[in-house]
Amino acid sequence: MLLFKIMSCLQGYLVIQVMGDAPEKFVNMAASRGIYLWDVEQLSNGTVMIKVYLKNVNALRHIARRTRCRFRIRQRSGLPFYVAVLRRRKALALGAFLSLIILYFLTSFIWIIEIKGNEKLDSYDVLRAAEQAGLRRGAFKWNINPGAVEDGIVEQLPLLSWSGVYIKGTKATIEVAERILPEEEDHQPAHIVAKKTGVIKEVLVLNGRQAVKEGDTVSAGQVLISGEILPVEEEPPPGVDGEKPAENMEPVRYVHAMGFARARVWYEGYSEVSLVETGQRPTGKQKTCVSIKFKSKEIILSGNQNQNEPFETYETRTLVNKAPQWRNIDLPVELITVKYFELADYREERSRLVARRAAEAQAHALAAESMPDDAAIQERWVEEVETGDSDKLVRVRVVIETVEDIGEEAPFNGAPNT
Amino acid sequence: MVLRDFSQKVKKQFADFLELPGDVMLDLPKITMFGDLKLYIENHRGILEYSTSEVRIGVRDGEVVVVGEGLLLRNVLPDEICVEGKIKTLSFSY
Repeated sequence: MLLFKIMSCLQGYLVIQVMGDAPEKFVNMAASRGIYLWDVEQLSNGTVMIKVYLKNVNALRHIARRTRCRFRIRQRSGLPFYVAVLRRRKALALGAFLSLIILYFLTSFIWIIEIKGNEKLDSYDVLRAAEQAGLRRGAFKWNINPGAVEDGIVEQLPLLSWSGVYIKGTKATIEVAERILPEEEDHQPAHIVAKKTGVIKEVLVLNGRQAVKEGDTVSAGQVLISGEILPVEEEPPPGVDGEKPAENMEPVRYVHAMGFARARVWYEGYSEVSLVETGQRPTGKQKTCVSIKFKSKEIILSGNQNQNEPFETYETRTLVNKAPQWRNIDLPVELITVKYFELADYREERSRLVARRAAEAQAHALAAESMPDDAAIQERWVEEVETGDSDKLVRVRVVIETVEDIGEEAPFNGAPNT
Repeated sequence: MVLRDFSQKVKKQFADFLELPGDVMLDLPKITMFGDLKLYIENHRGILEYSTSEVRIGVRDGEVVVVGEGLLLRNVLPDEICVEGKIKTLSFSY
């Protein structure tokens, strides 16, 4: 059916109105002569509307005469008639054709260049390299050889290991993959010092001299693994005088200390929760006020026009929508949405158990706040602090013991050992 | 007429014996209906009368009468007619 519609549009068809005593005869004769008719419909006034192909109309005139009918063309549709219209309006046809040509011409340029995959490298550098290789904004699309541009970009930027250039429509996408360079080893002399206070559990020295023992209590900033390697003191051979020859003394070596120092660290959190809590919280009722701000004038579009305070107690949230800045043009128009949330007083009484649980959770969260991610929790103590007003308040202290690496590099000044 | 009836009878028996479809052998109209919306009639002998409420289509020695509302002829081909609209009755008259 769709194919038929397309065909009839391409060939062009007419709607004719047949008047006469016996339009059936007209239809029969036309059909028997191989003229295809469709959508034969009788109108309320007795005449019949018929659709027929443009090419068969002349044959119908003869049939109409033979069957003593008259017909009148009511409607013309299809491509041949559009062509006829365009033939009369040459400027329109020319304009349509020209606009197509211009559209095609404009789509043969690169308008947008997108760069993907660069992390360390600046997009601007990639763009410059691409420009050197021939791909730049406004370049003629058919002159660009993506393979050559890819090679050119990689040649100019040694930090890249691969690049891919894809052109889709007027947009060029440059995908790059950066080389991963091995990290340079630091030879600056450095200690490993404690980040925080704790009790040393184990020390693993990769480079340097161990400065603390297991079980030592260290405070923040204390050297755990020293970058100073003292000369080995030789035991004076027995029988010989304790005097050591000075020329045999090795100088102190300075190294970049490396290693792990795991220590037990304690974190403490304290929280109190009252058994009766009062405060304000949103009821869920809200009102929205939308206004447009033009320079310093504010025009309210919807919401509370006159009264400024929609609720007795409320809090507001303001959202400002601004038109995005384009070039240097900054539109002085802002759309401001203010939302008013109603607040209501509330009073909540809790049992001791619930309050204690809440306080414990809060205290635990407080204690865990400063814990690093790699800390392994060893133990946890919860203790209720007894005070005089225990009928009103629950006070809870939480102590967490963890084992974690507390070492931290701290460079120091010394003659580097080369 | 007697001779014609006789030849018709022989043809019918022949068609039954060979299990040939009647529309080929006996020159009968083949009518296909889609509910009460659409009706195809093949092997017809022309339109005898057409109006929105009644369509009469000639077939071999007789006619098919379609009564309904808002009838229109969707297709008119030398051997096929398609009637669309709200069809109420379909009857044969000889």
